[in-house]
Amino acid sequence: MNPPQSMQMRIRHTTGYHYERGAAASFNEARMTPMTTSEQYVLRSRLEISPTPWSYEYRDYWGTTVTSFEVHDPHTDLTVVASSTVETQEVPHRPHAATWDDLSGVEDEYCEFLELSSWVAPSPTLLAELAPIRAAAATPGEYALAAAGFLHEQVAYVTGSTEVTTTAADAWESKNGVCQDFAHLTLGVLREARIPARYVSGYLHPSPDPVVGEAIEGESHAWIEWWDGEWVGWDPTNAIAPGPRHVVVAKGRDYGDSPPLRGIFSTSGGSELFVSVEITRLR
Amino acid sequence: MLSRIAQSLFWIGRYLERADDTARILDVQMQVLIEDPGMDERTSCEQLLSVMGVEDYTGNPNRWMILDLLAHNADSPVSIAAAIGAARESARRARETLSTDIWAAINTTWRGLPTARAMRSPDMFAWVRNRTAMISGIADSTMTRDEGWQFYMLGRSIERVDMTARLLSTAALASGPQVAWPTTLRACGAYESFIRAYRGIEADRQAAEFLLLDRWFPRSIVSSLAQAEKALTKLERSGQRTGFSDEAQRLLGRARTELEYRPLADIVFDLPVEMERLQRSCAAASDAVSARYFAEYEEHTWRGGIVL
Amino acid sequence: MDLPQLFDGYGPVVGFDEMMGPDLEGSGSSTVRENYRRVHESFEKMGSEEIRLRADSLASSYLEQGVTFGVAGEERPFPLDIVPRLIEAADWEHVERGVRQRVLALEAFLADAYGPGELFADDVVPRATVMTSPHFHRVVAGLEPANGVRVHVAGVDLIRDGNGDFRVLEDNVRVPSGVSYVMTNRRALSAALPEVFADHRIRPVSQYSQRLLAALRKAAPAGVNDPTVVVLTPGVYNSAYFEHTLLARTMGVELVEGRDLVCRSGRVMMRTTNGLEPVDVIYRRIDDDFLDPVQFRSDSALGVPGIINAARAGHVTIANAVGNGVADDKLLYTYVPDLIRYYLSEEPILRNVDTWRMGEAEQREEVLDRLDELVLKPVDGSGGKGIVIGPAASRDELDELRAKIMLDPRAWIAQPVVSLSTVPTLVEDGVRPRHVDLRPFAVHDGDDVFVLPGGLTRVALPEGELIVNSSRGGGSKDTWVLASPTDPEDEGEGAPAASRVAGTPQSAGPAIDGDTSDVQVQEQEQQQGRLVEESSC
Repeated sequence: MNPPQSMQMRIRHTTGYHYERGAAASFNEARMTPMTTSEQYVLRSRLEISPTPWSYEYRDYWGTTVTSFEVHDPHTDLTVVASSTVETQEVPHRPHAATWDDLSGVEDEYCEFLELSSWVAPSPTLLAELAPIRAAAATPGEYALAAAGFLHEQVAYVTGSTEVTTTAADAWESKNGVCQDFAHLTLGVLREARIPARYVSGYLHPSPDPVVGEAIEGESHAWIEWWDGEWVGWDPTNAIAPGPRHVVVAKGRDYGDSPPLRGIFSTSGGSELFVSVEITRLR
Repeated sequence: MLSRIAQSLFWIGRYLERADDTARILDVQMQVLIEDPGMDERTSCEQLLSVMGVEDYTGNPNRWMILDLLAHNADSPVSIAAAIGAARESARRARETLSTDIWAAINTTWRGLPTARAMRSPDMFAWVRNRTAMISGIADSTMTRDEGWQFYMLGRSIERVDMTARLLSTAALASGPQVAWPTTLRACGAYESFIRAYRGIEADRQAAEFLLLDRWFPRSIVSSLAQAEKALTKLERSGQRTGFSDEAQRLLGRARTELEYRPLADIVFDLPVEMERLQRSCAAASDAVSARYFAEYEEHTWRGGIVL
Repeated sequence: MDLPQLFDGYGPVVGFDEMMGPDLEGSGSSTVRENYRRVHESFEKMGSEEIRLRADSLASSYLEQGVTFGVAGEERPFPLDIVPRLIEAADWEHVERGVRQRVLALEAFLADAYGPGELFADDVVPRATVMTSPHFHRVVAGLEPANGVRVHVAGVDLIRDGNGDFRVLEDNVRVPSGVSYVMTNRRALSAALPEVFADHRIRPVSQYSQRLLAALRKAAPAGVNDPTVVVLTPGVYNSAYFEHTLLARTMGVELVEGRDLVCRSGRVMMRTTNGLEPVDVIYRRIDDDFLDPVQFRSDSALGVPGIINAARAGHVTIANAVGNGVADDKLLYTYVPDLIRYYLSEEPILRNVDTWRMGEAEQREEVLDRLDELVLKPVDGSGGKGIVIGPAASRDELDELRAKIMLDPRAWIAQPVVSLSTVPTLVEDGVRPRHVDLRPFAVHDGDDVFVLPGGLTRVALPEGELIVNSSRGGGSKDTWVLASPTDPEDEGEGAPAASRVAGTPQSAGPAIDGDTSDVQVQEQEQQQGRLVEESSC
C-alpha cells in the first residue's frame, strides 16, 4: 500500500523543568513552533507556558519561530506546552543532479553548512573507513546516500544511549546513538567531502502507516538536508527520505542552532527535565 | 540610587569608623597596661579580645598578640588594617560616586598602611585617628547631602554606637584602679569636655554616663543613635514610602530610649551585659537596613545552558 | 660636577623620529623639527634635575589619583612620560578625516553584514570571512539599532611608518579602551609643565565625555525623550575599571555592574534603593560573550540575562552594538580599503599596513618562504597575544609557527616589520627616542563622527621594543594636537586667562587681623593656581 500524498498532524509537545528547591527566576527560549515550508503548512500553533511569563516572539537568523520568556516569581515547575496542527505532504522526488565540480561554485554561499563544528566534526577512523566509498562515488548525491547507508549499518539506534551534548565523534566511538547523533554523523562526513549539509529538527510520526484519530506517543526527531543542485532531505536514523510523517520545526547548522528549550534559571538545588510528545494524525 | 552603591557607602562609613574606634580602644588598652603595673596582662588581653568578638586564637594573649590581631594583621578580620582595606575596597566599588578627594584620601590611607605598621603603636593609633578624621572632614565638605550621604552617616553612626559600646565594656572590665576611665575619655577626645561638664568631679560612674548619655557630645552613644535615626528619617522621606514604620528606626529608637529613660544605676550595674545588648541591636538594625534598601540587590546563581 | 644634558646621546635614530628631522645642513647633527622646537628648548632650559623632579611628582600624583591599569589581577600604575608628543594641525586634520572615513565604512559594513548582505552578492568580501568568524553573532542579525549606529565609539590604532606617514594597524569597534588616559594625562601633564603648556595652543580633550553622552542619548530607543544612560562595567577587577568610573563620573551617569540590572518584561531595570528603575541606553564595557547568559556563555556572572531580547524588542540600546567583532578582526582589516571604496566611493585616506592573508594559497607560499622577515599575527588575537616577530624568533619558534599556519591558515595574517616612529621619552639615561603608536578615539552619534583631537599615545619603554601595549608594560604620553592658526573655533587649551581675578579680602579673625596685605597676595596666588588647574580639564 502506498502512503497517502498528504496528512494532517496534531502535535502536542510538553517539556519543562522540575526544581527540587524551586527556582527564583528563569529566562528561556523555546523553538517549538513548526515552520511553514513548500512541503508543510501550519494551520494552527500555540504555546502555553506556566507559570504565566512575559513572552516575546521573533524569527531567528535561521527563520525559526522563537518564543522568548521570563519568569520572575519563585516556582517549582516550569512547563511549556506547544500544540500545533500541520498539513504535510509527500516530498516530490528530486533528481540528484550536482557533480563534484559543481560544489566549489557554492562553497562561499553555503560556507555555514560546510563548517565542521565540534558537534559534527567526524572522527578520523570513520573517514578512513569511508575512503573507499567516497572514491567510488561518482556524484555527491551518490556519496551522500552511500555514506548515510554505511552509518545506518554501523551505528545502532539505542534510545537514551547518548546525551544531548554528545558529539558525532563520541557517537562513532560508541557505535550507538539517537536521531541527533545520526544527523550529526552524516552532516560531518558530508561536509568533510565539501557537500553543504544542514540539520533539520522536528517531529516524526512513529508508525509507518499512521491511523487517523489515534494519539501516539512520539518523539522529537532530527534529520538532514544536503545540497545537490537544490536541497534534498534524508532521514539517516530510519534510512528513508522525509515524507508526510515528518514535521519540520527548525533548520540550522547543527543541534546548537535549534534546541527546543534553552535557558537559565536561578536555583539552589537540582533540576529535573521532562519531555513528552504526542502525535495524532487527523486526516 | 543604586542599591549596590548605597551598600558600599554604608560600609565605608562603618569600616572607617571601625578603624578609628579600634585605634582608640587599643590606645586605652596599651596605656592601661603600661600605667598600671598591677594589671594582669593576660586576663586583660583576654577580656579585650572577647569584647572585640575574637574567639579564634592560639596561645596566651599578650600585648603583642593584641596588636597583631587588632591592628596590624590584615588577615585578621577585626584588625585596623583589615577595616581600612575593606573601606578601600568598598570605596573602589563606589568609586564613581565618590568625590576624587575622598577616594584619594581613602586610597592614600590604604597605601600608607605598611608605613604605619612600622610606627610605634601610639603613633600608629594617632595616624589612624588623623587619617579617618581627615576623610570624614573631606566627606563632610565634598559630599552632596543626598541619599548616599545619609547611608554613609547611617553606617558611621551605627558603627560608632557599636564600637563605643565595646570601648565602654573594655573600660568597665579594666576599671578598679583609677586609670581606665580618664584614658577612655581621652581616647574619645572627651576628657576636656567631660571635665568642663562635670566641673572636675571625676568618677567612673560620671564618665560612663557622659559617654553613654551626653546629648551634646558627638561620640556618645545616645547622640550617635540620634544621628543614625536622623539619617533613617531623611531616607524615609526621600524614598516617599508609605506603610510600616522602618524596622531599623524602631530598633535604634528603642535602644536609645532604653538608655535615656532608665535609671543610670541600672545600666552601669552590669555595663558589659548592657553593652552587649546594644551591640545586638546595632547588628539587627544593620540587617534591617540591608533588607530594606539593599534587598533589590540580590545575587542570582544562574545555571543552565541546559538544552533539551 | 658636570651634569649630562638631557638630550645628549639622543639617537642614533632608526626610521622616522618625530622630534629630530633629517640632517639638512650636512652639519653632522640632525635638526629639531619646528613643532618640537619649543618643547626642546624648554626642556634644555629646565635641565635634567628639574625634569626628573617634575617626573617624580607626576608619577606620585598619578598613584594618588589611583590611575592604574590592571595586569593579571594586580593594579599597576600606568606610567605617563613627561615629554609630550606633538602633532601638527595639518597632520591631525589628515588623521581626523581618515578615522572618520573608516568609522563610516565599518558602520556601513556592519549594517550590511547583519542585514541584506549586498556586499557578498557584489563579491566585495567572501561570505565565509564574515559567516565563519566567531564574532558574527547570529542572534543580532536583523536587529536594527535605534538610530542606525552600531559603532558608537571606535579606537583606530595608527602608526607612523619610515616616511612619517600614518598607517592603520588595527580597528577597535567592540569596546575600545584607553580614552580615560587621554583625559587624565592631559590634566597631569599640564600641571607638571604649566609653562611649556602655556607656550602652545593645544586642542582640548575634555569635551569627550559630553560628546559621548550626547551620542548615547541620541541612540536611545524611539519615543524616549529623556533617556537614562548607564555605563555597564564587569567590575572592579577589570583592567579598565578606572576608565569606567571616570566615564560614568564625567558623564554624570550611574556606573552599574551586571547584578545591578535585571530584565523585566523585556525592559532593563536597575536595582535602586527606591526599587526598580528603567534604563534606556547601556554603554557597556563587557565583551559580547559575557553580556547575556541566556544567549552567550551561560556561566557568565557579569552579564544581564535577557538583555539581548530587550534590545531586540527595541526597549534598550546597547552601545557598542553586539556583534561588532566581525568588523575589527584582523582578516576583515585587509578588506577595509575595499569597503571604503564600495560603500563611500572614496579612496582610503589612511593606508593599511601591507598585509598577506594566509588563507590564500598564493600569498601563503610567498610568506612561508620568508617567515623570518615578517610579523605573523593571529587573526583573532588582541593585545599583542600570539604575535611572532620573524627576525626576533628562533628557528624552533619559526618551525612551530609554520606548523600552526599550515594547520589553520585562515587564522593568520602576515605583515612586514614596520619601523614605528620614535618620539623623545624620558628614560634612565636621559631623553631618548622610543617607539610609539597612536589610538585616536571617535564617537559616532548618527549624524557626525567626532574625532577627539589627541588620542592615546602608547610608548614602548624598553629600547628597541616594537610592541607597544599597555598589557606588556608600556607607558603612555600626553598627545598634543596643535591648533591651526586659522582655526577660529579652537581657543587652544590652557591659554593664559585673559583677566586677572580680583578677590574681595577674606575676613580675618583677631589673630591675623592687621596683616591683610599678605593674605591678599596669598589668596590671589591660590586663585591663579586654581585657574590653571580648572581650565586644563
